[in-house]
Amino acid sequence: METIAVIFGGRSAEHDVSIVTALAAIIKPLELTKKYRVEAVYVAKDGTWYWDEKLKDIRMFSSGEIQDFLHRSHPASVQFDGGMTLVKASGIAGRKQSRKIDLVFPAMHGTYGEDGSLMGLLDMAGIPYVGCGTSASAVAMDKVLAKEVAFANNIPVSKFLAFTKADLERQPGEAVKNIENSLSYPLFVKPAHLGSSIGISQVKDATELRHGLEVAAHYDDKVIVEEAVPNLVEVTLPIMGNDRPQPAMLEQPMTQPEDFFDFETKYLQGGKKGKGKAGTKGAQGYSKIPAEIPEEVYVRAEATGVAIYKAFGCSGIARVDMLIDEKTKRVYFNEVNPLPGGLYAHNWNRAGVSNVELVQKLVGFAKERHSQRQALTTTFSTNYLQQF
Amino acid sequence: MQVVVDGLMTSYELRGKGRLVLILHGWGDSAKGLKELAGRLAKNYQVLALDLPGFGATEAPKGVWDLDDYARFVSAVSSKLGLEQPYAVVGHSNGGALAVRAVSLKELRPEKLVLMAASGVRTNSRVKRAFIKFIAKTGNIATIWMPEHYRQALRKSLYGVAGSDMLVVPALQETFKKTVRQDVQADAVALDVPTLLIYAANDDAIPLADGKQYHSLIKGSRLEVIPEAGHFVHLDQPQKVAALIEDFLK
Repeated sequence: METIAVIFGGRSAEHDVSIVTALAAIIKPLELTKKYRVEAVYVAKDGTWYWDEKLKDIRMFSSGEIQDFLHRSHPASVQFDGGMTLVKASGIAGRKQSRKIDLVFPAMHGTYGEDGSLMGLLDMAGIPYVGCGTSASAVAMDKVLAKEVAFANNIPVSKFLAFTKADLERQPGEAVKNIENSLSYPLFVKPAHLGSSIGISQVKDATELRHGLEVAAHYDDKVIVEEAVPNLVEVTLPIMGNDRPQPAMLEQPMTQPEDFFDFETKYLQGGKKGKGKAGTKGAQGYSKIPAEIPEEVYVRAEATGVAIYKAFGCSGIARVDMLIDEKTKRVYFNEVNPLPGGLYAHNWNRAGVSNVELVQKLVGFAKERHSQRQALTTTFSTNYLQQF
Repeated sequence: MQVVVDGLMTSYELRGKGRLVLILHGWGDSAKGLKELAGRLAKNYQVLALDLPGFGATEAPKGVWDLDDYARFVSAVSSKLGLEQPYAVVGHSNGGALAVRAVSLKELRPEKLVLMAASGVRTNSRVKRAFIKFIAKTGNIATIWMPEHYRQALRKSLYGVAGSDMLVVPALQETFKKTVRQDVQADAVALDVPTLLIYAANDDAIPLADGKQYHSLIKGSRLEVIPEAGHFVHLDQPQKVAALIEDFLK
């Protein structure tokens, strides 16, 4: 039986969301397949790793018992032995318990998890893992780089400018002047690397812009300022696969342009309610699946999503967010989420893929990509050392 | 909404149009706890309700603060947002003590002041503080064998029984100790602002006696006692409290 380690938690603002993704959308369906031994690996907020069966129980986290558990448990360590082995003290006469891992299913959102950091570690270990690789994850989690990649691939993006925190601290007035000369209000000011709407402001004049820049620079060393897309319809498209990406359903979060999701709306209040219309409650609240937009726009948005997935070099799974100007019917790239919250299983279910099928397919894509990479030549013999 | 003030990420809500009403929440609470009242007042006023440092979505102070630091901070938020001096300040519990101190320091210069179950009369609480101190010291030793989770829960409930908010926000324990030592009765005597005092008849945290004390100290003040209400008087009797404030602000 293959052993899959599901790694979740992490040093990110989305720590708690990650726990729900891991336990509900990944571990449970993986265990239901009865094909794998599933190991729960929890990364605490201070970055310490723990590995234990008890970490599969949501009550451990919801009751606050986790603090007690962390207090009395030995942290786990990872051994890179031509693969990856989890190791921890068993508590019996100092004996150690270990488990060789065949595949990793990362379930961490945001910083140090979804941004390529964890993927880099797994690449070094030479172990197959689910989801986007290091470079696709790193590009996706940098809003400036992501827009530049989309733009270079002829995918429309809203006008934007980027600043470093140092620029903003040195010459804040200059930044405001540059922005006002190049972009038109209303604008969005965002930290370049953070997800979950943290530190995002929608601004409509110079004072709000100055405040928004300060807020974004408080969280990140790079800040992006974007023009708002008028007549906005937001859509998001979960996609899976490696070389032949398969889209799920185009989903339309039911928000108004003026009250874009902030972190609280998105996660702490269980999402926005859909103003009396029927909707599906997903990781981001209520939404319409499929998006209620004209068919030609739907088809174009779906094609744009797949094109972005390919352009970024995504693999396994990702979710592409797009913005549509309802009047001009133009589709703009917004961002890529390499690990959608809850895998966006609600959407895949609507597309005819059950939670169990979803995780099985993702494990399959991880193995396929790993085999492809194994087939590449990465080392070769030289006579370089013989010269010394 | 967010703004950076004195290096702290500060969360606030600013809504409505008209003269400015500033709302200050109590210890362990946030602007959200006074949302309903703020919404009602926003029909006739511009209402600023902020999460004070260490509460809600505002970052904790980088050092140990007292009411004076909080007062300066509130004034700095208002300036940063380009707002004039408030027409009125409404403070609940510790937010009430803060309001009294901020007006006394002239950090805020409102034309009207509303104190709901305001703390700041500290003289009655000496015995209670001594009790808390005793429990805290002996409890630490007596519970050392317990799992941390249960230990924390027990400490929380003991402090709750003693009427203390000290463990509501563990990171602010030192700030809490400094704040609850700060008696603002002398500041209350010096107030020259029309003041409405709203106290609950069944408040276990801040007794009605504190309201009566404020009433005797603040010249021309009006004391309203709300029956069938506890410390969160604005939540227990929202209609009555809002109507009293609206009438007073007219």
